[in-house]
Amino acid sequence: MRSELHFDAVVIGGGTAGLTAGIRLAQDGARVCVLAKGHGSTHLAPATIDVLGYAPDLVTEPARALEELIAARPDHPYALIGSEVIADALTWFATTAADGPHPGYGYTGGLERNLLLPTALGALRPSALVPETMAAGERSQLHRVCIVGTPSLRDFHPSLCAANLAAAGIEARAVSLDLTLERADMSALGLARYFDDPKWRARFCAELSLALRAEEHIGLPAMLGLRDPHAVLTDLEHRLGRRVFEIPTLPPSVPGMRLYEILRAALRAAGGRLVLGAEVVSSARDGERLTAVSTRAAGRDLVYAAPMFVLASGGFASGGIELDSHWITHERVLGLPLRGLPDATQPPAPRFVATYLDEQPLARVGVAVDAQLRAECVENVIIAGATLPGAAPWREGSGEGIALASGYRAAQVVAGQANAKQEATTA
Amino acid sequence: MSDLAEHELLRGSLDHCVKCTICETACPVSNVSPLFPGPKYAGPQSERYRVADEPSVDLSVDYCSGCGICSQVCPQGVKIAEINAQARHKLKRQQGVPLRDRIITRPTWLGRAGTLGAPIANFSLTFKPARILAEKTLGVHRDAPAPKFAGRRFSKWAQGRTGAKTGRKIVYFHGCGTEYYEPWEGEKVVEILEHNGFEVIVPKQDCCGLPLQSSGLFDDARKVVLRLARNLAAHIRDEDTIIVGNATSCTLMLKREGREILGLQDDPALKRVSERTYDICELLLELHDRGELNTAFAPINETVAYHAPCQQQGHWVGKPALDLLALVPGLEVKEMNARCCGIAGTYGLKAEKYDIAMAVGRDLFDQVAASGAPTVACDSETCRWQIAHGTQLPSVHPIDYLHRAYGLGH
Amino acid sequence: MGTLSTDVLVIGGGATGAGVAWDAALRGLDVVLVDRQDLAEGTSGRFHGLLHSGGRYAVKDPNAARECIGENRILRHVAADCIEDTGGLFVTTSWDDPAYADRFAQGCADTGVDCEEISVAEALRSEPRLNPSISRAFMVPDANIDVWKTVWAMSHGAQQRGARILPYHAAVRIHRDGDQVSGARVRDARTGEESDIHARITVNAAGAWAGQVADLAGIEGVRVLPGRGIMIAMNHRLVNTVINRCQLPTDGDIIVPIRTVSVIGTTDQHTDDPDDHTIDQNEVDQMLDDGEKLVPGFRGARALRVWTGVRPLFEDAKQSDTDTRDVTRAHALLDHAQRDDVRGFVTITGGKLTTFRLMAEETVNAVCRQLGETRPCVTSTTPLPGSESGEHYRLGERLARKEANLVDEQVICECELVPRSKLEEAMTRTSSTNLDDIRRQLRLGMGPCQGGFCIYRATGILHGLDGLTAAQADASLLEFLQERWKGVWPVLYGDQLRQARLDDWIFQGVLDVAHLPS
Repeated sequence: MRSELHFDAVVIGGGTAGLTAGIRLAQDGARVCVLAKGHGSTHLAPATIDVLGYAPDLVTEPARALEELIAARPDHPYALIGSEVIADALTWFATTAADGPHPGYGYTGGLERNLLLPTALGALRPSALVPETMAAGERSQLHRVCIVGTPSLRDFHPSLCAANLAAAGIEARAVSLDLTLERADMSALGLARYFDDPKWRARFCAELSLALRAEEHIGLPAMLGLRDPHAVLTDLEHRLGRRVFEIPTLPPSVPGMRLYEILRAALRAAGGRLVLGAEVVSSARDGERLTAVSTRAAGRDLVYAAPMFVLASGGFASGGIELDSHWITHERVLGLPLRGLPDATQPPAPRFVATYLDEQPLARVGVAVDAQLRAECVENVIIAGATLPGAAPWREGSGEGIALASGYRAAQVVAGQANAKQEATTA
Repeated sequence: MSDLAEHELLRGSLDHCVKCTICETACPVSNVSPLFPGPKYAGPQSERYRVADEPSVDLSVDYCSGCGICSQVCPQGVKIAEINAQARHKLKRQQGVPLRDRIITRPTWLGRAGTLGAPIANFSLTFKPARILAEKTLGVHRDAPAPKFAGRRFSKWAQGRTGAKTGRKIVYFHGCGTEYYEPWEGEKVVEILEHNGFEVIVPKQDCCGLPLQSSGLFDDARKVVLRLARNLAAHIRDEDTIIVGNATSCTLMLKREGREILGLQDDPALKRVSERTYDICELLLELHDRGELNTAFAPINETVAYHAPCQQQGHWVGKPALDLLALVPGLEVKEMNARCCGIAGTYGLKAEKYDIAMAVGRDLFDQVAASGAPTVACDSETCRWQIAHGTQLPSVHPIDYLHRAYGLGH
Repeated sequence: MGTLSTDVLVIGGGATGAGVAWDAALRGLDVVLVDRQDLAEGTSGRFHGLLHSGGRYAVKDPNAARECIGENRILRHVAADCIEDTGGLFVTTSWDDPAYADRFAQGCADTGVDCEEISVAEALRSEPRLNPSISRAFMVPDANIDVWKTVWAMSHGAQQRGARILPYHAAVRIHRDGDQVSGARVRDARTGEESDIHARITVNAAGAWAGQVADLAGIEGVRVLPGRGIMIAMNHRLVNTVINRCQLPTDGDIIVPIRTVSVIGTTDQHTDDPDDHTIDQNEVDQMLDDGEKLVPGFRGARALRVWTGVRPLFEDAKQSDTDTRDVTRAHALLDHAQRDDVRGFVTITGGKLTTFRLMAEETVNAVCRQLGETRPCVTSTTPLPGSESGEHYRLGERLARKEANLVDEQVICECELVPRSKLEEAMTRTSSTNLDDIRRQLRLGMGPCQGGFCIYRATGILHGLDGLTAAQADASLLEFLQERWKGVWPVLYGDQLRQARLDDWIFQGVLDVAHLPS
């Protein structure tokens, strides 16, 4: 007996792009399986949906800036996806989040205006959609703010955050609370478990109240609970009598784990399967079509066969694309051809430049696709997320936006192709 | 392969670690106890400070429960749990293994002795003074969940059975839990397989060695798993022969842990067994996906909470029980989203770790309570005993529902 | 800083200069040491970390071999805490001349380098990653030495005896009155302020920069030909023993396990400028290929960082302008009273790290000679601060410390296990806002993530401690990121590229360092 499993579509990658594609396909009635090597970007990122933050100057109106970007850069993922689909994907996501496993917790914002939220360093970072727990940190609402941290959390430094906010013209100060916790190496996740406990919150608020001044918003590192963040926020705002907001900090990301739960639950609710620990190690083709991929399971490789595949394995950060020690760049899962590589002819163009903050020549490498996000040479593989070429997510502030919109779009393309095939068969 | 060479191979995977903390988000133990600093710390991070022929200095790795979730969620392919297991092995060799660990890691000995004197054994397992004595002398926690000996052995039932002699042959690996404690689970497995047209072969078999391995007794574990592998391999007739088990942690030992953690990659018998071993739910779902599963299920109008145990997750095949249970009409399945029940095989039995194990399980126990489900389904027997202990609700193998829905109930 | 007066002014804060300061202070002399940068930021801090057994020179340069084994034995005693006793192997690979092995064994016997041939099987048992096709293997007492730790220890020891150590003070003039040197004018690199140091004797211990310092004193013909070599640090201990190719010294023939990493070295390119840190792609490829010969799979392993060091190869142009055979790796002590009739000035250059103590001893002997004083050297018997117990450093030390303080002590740099208390102590002690200085003291940010997680933390702590402005703290952070990037990008591939992208995500994404208000 050969372990071969058949699906209507197989998605490779369990980050925002892959999960979005999987959910959309499952919601469309397809039998879909998402193969994830492990947890992905969600657990590390701030969980804001940044659509377009810098182009290259600060973007205030993403809807308009997107149109300009699409016109100016036809090779950019957004140009292939189109502004309508981007807008649809955001609307869909906001609804999915609101219907998610955390009662009352949702996202706010949209494409009309970017929201500027403080980072843990006190820079103001532009995002389109943000969790409600971050909304009160928005620049336009932020006149007086108290940034609160604790020496127990090495991943957040309130005085530095406040100092930079002050430099940006916000009346900001910092408070550091000494909390007695069970260990010195505490992460935001460890603290989130405390915030899940109402009694602990009550004690925390009682202590913090002593340090507060009038009309201040309270900025805390993003740690306001995992199970029921809406209740935690409401409770804190009630007890402290003022607006409270979360500031994303170093991984692990508590809001990111919430985002993962939203997507995971939506996939399960739609009937999609998720296999965690499933690294794709080989694949089979029939001419220009991919017929199956194999994952390394315990004891043997499992074969997942499908007529359509979505590849959302990520870029250089997740190892979806890699550069080896002979300076050759590969797409790791299927060996697909890449686009955007520096010229390798002699003498080769540099892969990196010596100034850290300059754009690196390798930044926009991705799998070569057509206008339908289909991989060149393999017609039934649709590419989504950071595997797409043409974007520089961190510089543009576009990572989650591209992941979401391209995952959404990939599902449309898969469904469209399946329908086309069915019609052809019927005819 | 020598211990050192094997160690170097696993150690090499630490190069993939980008310190991203994803394993820390998933570790059941470090999230509830400061005594274990977490998989990143104990695995790829501390490994850079370990020198093969120098003594272990990081005693905290003993608090890793070996659940393996860290390796599963790691997006970079770091063999975190395996590196930790190696470090624990070295620590145990240096410190010596307590008598307790030598006893509770031998389910075959315990089972044989307990089955013979089941009434007495069961009495002493529930008799508080005896448990206090066991805690003081052996370090087995007085409140730790202890299963009852069934007083009969599954293999005896199987020998006396005249099942179907036609159909595809399938080799059944029942494990010690089914043999001594829950023979009825094995009976159900056999009846379900026969109902689906298999002829079930039950070879003579003993422990898989997992308890020994997870307590760092690698040499003993190697002997035990190889003996089992040879017993099972003798029944492999052709390339299509399948071995199926319902003890999900023991099947994982055969599939992967024996080869990767104990370094037995090259043993031919274990390799042949490893490649064709299935967990029962994995097999049934695969049959279903190919349209070969009998789906004439009668409705069961109940609610059940389902917890996928860590060792089942370690098969890296998803959660097949969830999809199988969904085939039963009327059955409302609530997926629990907790990491671990806490027991991790024998971890939660140990006096110094019992409180941690209960703290680990708390999230699951709370979710079960919140779900309102009267029963908890779970693939692994030690986890079922812990869940029953922690929730005071009955806990059963998912196949119980299939067995009932097939109308095979006794 | 006002004008200072001292017995001995040492220019150069590498191992040799610090060794001179330590030696002179132990002999009861008053010492001021200046360096244009931080201590051990030049050649000393940029080598692979090998404490030679002498085996490497046993055939080619028997005198150097004898010096090395002698110093090796002394340093194991007096600098025990800075040394990890890894032992070393010389192995004959299929690329090496098989006849060399016997010459090597003979050379070791002739020069007193302890050397024992072991079976290939035994070598492979203790080092399972070693190339199984090696044909011979010899054990020698190579070890590794933590140069930063050694230099700080000597500098602290000297300070305890009254020495004044002034990093970031560059000598801009040497005061010379006729045939007498009387000190130097130094500029504080951080404030720009200049001041004078009067000294009875000035020691030029500027290594690869010794020619430039001699020029300041108007002394001709001190020519140091800088020899540039690259080294690559691999992510973990691929080997736990120093592995040498058993052949005449050449490029890429050694892997040194030191602290948590293994370092492969090195190349040899002549350059005119000791501050030339160019890294040539071909050299990187050559190192990786050479690594593959010793440890198959080397190219698949993770490289963390590459750097260049500049060896001072001394050529005395005054003795012979044409004969390049004078270019030597042996050290050179120039007593300018004898050589040039200029009193109060001594130059020490050339040499290798293993012999820094001997070089310092000879230098201070020359100083005493000029001063007309008899003060015997005691550095061969006096342990450095921290090495009193005679216990060697062990790799597990930081882990053991963390385990002992498992729940009480906050770790800031997780890769290198730097606790918050040590970080705060170093920041307070040095009052430096330069995180790269802190890095060299504590190995902050030197592990796999190259500061990805700890540098935000360290910046936050620095800001809180020192009361910096946001702009100053941000500048420290950005400077550190740029400094790290310099050594990372030329070897950025495989696992480290994934790491670098995650770090970018943290800094440019989560923290948005590119858009700070300051």
